[in-house]
Amino acid sequence: MQLSYFRRVAAGGAVAALAFAGVGAFTATPAYAATSKVSVVHGIPDTPVDVYVNGKKTLDNFKPGDVAGPLNLEEGDYDIALTKPGEPIGSAILKVDNAAVPGGANISIAAHLDAAGQPKITPFVNDVSKVDAGKARLIVRHTAAAPEVDVRAGGTPVFKNLTNPNEAKGDVDAGNVKADVVLAGTDTVAIGPADLNLKEGTATIVYAIGSAEGKTLDVVAQTITGLHSAPGGVPSGDGGQAGTGVNTWWYVLTGAGVLLLLGGGVRMATARTGRK
Amino acid sequence: MTVRNRGALAALAAGVAALTVATLVACGSQPAEDVGADEAANLATATPTPSASAAGGQSVPVTAGELPAGAEIVPPVRLVIPAIDVTATVNAVGINKRTNEFEVPPSVDEIGWYRYGPGLETTAGSIVIAGHVDSAQQGKGAFFRLRELDQGDTLTATGGDGKARKYRVVAREEYAKTKIPLDRYFARDGKPRLTLITCGGPFDAKARKYRDNIVVTAVPA
Repeated sequence: MQLSYFRRVAAGGAVAALAFAGVGAFTATPAYAATSKVSVVHGIPDTPVDVYVNGKKTLDNFKPGDVAGPLNLEEGDYDIALTKPGEPIGSAILKVDNAAVPGGANISIAAHLDAAGQPKITPFVNDVSKVDAGKARLIVRHTAAAPEVDVRAGGTPVFKNLTNPNEAKGDVDAGNVKADVVLAGTDTVAIGPADLNLKEGTATIVYAIGSAEGKTLDVVAQTITGLHSAPGGVPSGDGGQAGTGVNTWWYVLTGAGVLLLLGGGVRMATARTGRK
Repeated sequence: MTVRNRGALAALAAGVAALTVATLVACGSQPAEDVGADEAANLATATPTPSASAAGGQSVPVTAGELPAGAEIVPPVRLVIPAIDVTATVNAVGINKRTNEFEVPPSVDEIGWYRYGPGLETTAGSIVIAGHVDSAQQGKGAFFRLRELDQGDTLTATGGDGKARKYRVVAREEYAKTKIPLDRYFARDGKPRLTLITCGGPFDAKARKYRDNIVVTAVPA
């Protein structure tokens, strides 16, 4: 009877000691994304268009060099058609039927010239994974009627042998960089140089557009924000003058208290058993 | 009553006494409780952005695909907190490449603004300023008394544009460094707010590290 009482007290002391060390945790639950974000990039020189999605006019008089969106589209197949402004969908200049849009993705649909100079539509899936703190993502897409190219930053090739309709990408230190595009393996500048401001925690997507032959080479840029990560921590003190909480002796004292209670209880119990 | 029994009773009494003292000390050395934690969390709730939908017939935003230019960011250059006697120079800082951690200025009298996040001009997100609580070599730091700040205290941040902006403290929280929701404090969405961070809690003398971070959240006053 007495023993069980004291055991309870001892146990209570131990629980109290643990409770002081407890810290509340914060958990964030990501929202479920059922739709995809879709942007449209216009990279065909001198050709403003109307854009139809599933037979419905979505963009009116969409101009070369412009970026539209992002639109939230549910997962599924879409018919995309481009017409000259004001013309009926029946006389579309470019058409893609049943373009598959997956769920939860970030997609850019580029209307551009292929390497031979013919208009085409290419979907790109954008890498919207987080970048490390202090970093920015640079994505370059070759969507011009031009041969293989290298992309240089500060005069040094960073992406080599890029061909239409492909992309190259990398996460780099955020900040300003002077970039240009040269014919692969040469110093012959095709586009640029241009100053790129790569903002931390964003993806900058640069499309090379136009035609080398038509001397209409140019760039279109699209920026995706919100890819930043927090720093790994905020270390801001190593002096110890502001320390709170308990010292080692506190644990010794608590441990001794618990042992004394247990020991005393056990002795008392054995003493009683012995008397019986 | 036997001698053995008396000894056992004495041990029990000593045990109770030891635990009582330990409990009192533990209670006494607890840091001031968190205040305004819910308010701080609510500020971080993302403001819903109107979404363009093809089916909804809304107009789709169209932008010229120009190369991104440097945005106009107003860095804080001076922070004054009368309640805890702080007047400190603010430096623009980033990330320590080796540790991937916030690069708090080495001088304990100066504090650091996270230059990758929003500046004072922002209409959304968390402006982060961190400073030393102390240092082994230099003694007390600019944010030594940060944990004394309470709801309603005011502070003034002056920007690189020379304009002073007033803020009002709404929350003070303490987190173990392993548990602190840094994503929330370094968020670039949600209501505009100023987040001050330093170290605190029990000090591990061997590792020369504090266990916790003290976080003070203030909103434009």
